[in-house]
Amino acid sequence: MSNSSSNSFNRRSFLKAAGAAAAASMVGIPSLGVANARTNRAAKDRYKMVFIPFAPDTVSSAWSQGIAEVLKVQQIIDYQLLDGQSKVDVQINLMDTAITQGVDAIFLQPVDSVAVGPSIKKAKDAGIPVLTLNIDSTEAHASHVEMNHYFGAVDIADKMAQMMGGKGNVVILNAPPGIIIRDQRTNGFKKGLEKYPDIKVIADQSAEWSRKKAQDVLSALMIANKDINGVYGVNDEMALGAVDVLKTKGLIGKVVVFGNDGEKDALQSIEAGELTGTQYTDVFQQGRFAGSAAVVLATGGVSAQAFQSQSHLLMPYFILTKDNVAQIQPNQRW
Amino acid sequence: MRNVGSLRKTLASANLGLFWFFVVVIIVFSLVSPVFRSGPNLRNILSGYSHIGIVAVGMAFPLLLGGIDLSVGSIMGLVAMVVFDATLLLHLPGWVAILAGLLTGILAGLFNAFLIIRVKLQPFIATLATLVAYRGLTYAISGRQINPDLTVVAIKDPLLLGVDGQTGQIPYAFIYLVIIVIVTMTIFRFTRLGIDLYAVGGNPLAARLAGIDVNRVKTLCYVLSGFFTAIAALVLTSRMESTQEGLGGGLELSAIAAGVIGGVSLKGGIGNSFGAALGAFLIGTLSTGLILIGVTGYAPQVVIGVILLIAVGYDRFTVARGNRNWLRRQKHNAAAISSATSQS
Repeated sequence: MSNSSSNSFNRRSFLKAAGAAAAASMVGIPSLGVANARTNRAAKDRYKMVFIPFAPDTVSSAWSQGIAEVLKVQQIIDYQLLDGQSKVDVQINLMDTAITQGVDAIFLQPVDSVAVGPSIKKAKDAGIPVLTLNIDSTEAHASHVEMNHYFGAVDIADKMAQMMGGKGNVVILNAPPGIIIRDQRTNGFKKGLEKYPDIKVIADQSAEWSRKKAQDVLSALMIANKDINGVYGVNDEMALGAVDVLKTKGLIGKVVVFGNDGEKDALQSIEAGELTGTQYTDVFQQGRFAGSAAVVLATGGVSAQAFQSQSHLLMPYFILTKDNVAQIQPNQRW
Repeated sequence: MRNVGSLRKTLASANLGLFWFFVVVIIVFSLVSPVFRSGPNLRNILSGYSHIGIVAVGMAFPLLLGGIDLSVGSIMGLVAMVVFDATLLLHLPGWVAILAGLLTGILAGLFNAFLIIRVKLQPFIATLATLVAYRGLTYAISGRQINPDLTVVAIKDPLLLGVDGQTGQIPYAFIYLVIIVIVTMTIFRFTRLGIDLYAVGGNPLAARLAGIDVNRVKTLCYVLSGFFTAIAALVLTSRMESTQEGLGGGLELSAIAAGVIGGVSLKGGIGNSFGAALGAFLIGTLSTGLILIGVTGYAPQVVIGVILLIAVGYDRFTVARGNRNWLRRQKHNAAAISSATSQS
């Protein structure tokens, strides 16, 4: 499984050196004393951090678990997972509350890249580092840790095309428009298919991240198109929705279905020979990286003014199929 | 007639129990959390929930009729997208964008009224349909789809950005809300429309027989709902310097919840805009306070759900008690009349 490293490595700009060091060793010592003259955060006894995701769903909960693991080790950090209710105005309110509380770091999975910008700016003005997960903001901030959406999707397309024998019709069950991940994954997927001129994308429809919605969309598409050879669900939930439909029609094994993310249910489905494959990211690890970086930023006395250019970490990933799914250990399954 | 009551009656119809509950909530959170009782937190709650209060006041109009407007969330998304398109796609000046946004809200309300009055759909069905339709329209006209580069561009127009802000510690959104509550309370208490509205909400047939133009009242109510939602949409667009297609999703439920908690009866005829605004801030205070005392994840939503249940239960209880009292009075009167006649 080396297909990930060559692509991603040159695109990977690591966290600020200190952050990466802490992340790699998994120890963040409170008094790390990062060499930074512009210290404006006084050392104190207790620190507080909050995580504002879309909602505490599968991926976010796994991130949160990774974050909490790292923070707990420090023994001086209180941590709180909040519910963004998938609404950008709710996230803005939560950001305001966190800033008023004077937290020492905010983890954020923005519902919208631009709309949270003013809130991130407010946090920076208050000297609070903001770390985004998966969805970046247009407002520069401390750090961004994301799955490798684009190159992962390129590799998915490649693997899928090989398994389809280089020809056939593909449908994409997509995220709703207006989210950067959607564009990154869709563009990567289409880029990956460019090498295979005999494979056509015959439909690209939103199934709103949802398993149920994906069932409806694919059922409708299969009535209109008799000849579908491949399905790409932009997340695992939608891919599993496609599997549900294929099961009822007895087409398991005849249609190649790929998901994206690598959640527990998807891996089980691959092992059961239903879902063909997925892009797997260790989301616990992603949370740990973010958590480690936050510890360094908050307790190391790094000033908010130091975040003129943000650090950016792309997570390593694997393309999993039945052949290699077993290598993902139980404690890496989320 | 409720519209010609005293201030105490206003409070009573805004659910006096709610008012005291609110006071208790504030005292408890203030004692537990030093951050909660800080000035900046008060400002956060005011700015964070005023827009919901504004929509809730708009929603109070259809609710008072015994109707409902489920489309407010989608109207918010649509208005914000019209403003976004006008500035970033068409490069129109800010005042044009603002007017276009307000007009969109009015037209959306007008179309709801058309479906309810002319097509004779149930308000629930009509506005459920437009909830879906307006959201679809938002995606269709989205400048972020037409020109994907705009997904990462912020609005720069100074007039538009000036819609949201604060003077001293008071957010503009709260000032708008106060003005809107004062204006609507005046409408409710001192205008013909107010009297007609409660009459239609209380008993549409009797209102029609009394010579009230029921359709005109209904139209105005749905238009006002759309218009106030448009104001809230402008506030949010200004705050976010952008919008997204899904903006306002689920807002209808927050607004209805605020109204019901604030004593607006879903059966119509009871409640006012002051109560609806108060309801929005009670939700806001609870959400913020629970987070500040360290409650995590989904739990704050559960608590608000329970409060809503209690409020609805209380509403039904008071209606039932009102009916019982009315019956008792009727019986008492009848008895008095019969005893009076038998004596003579």
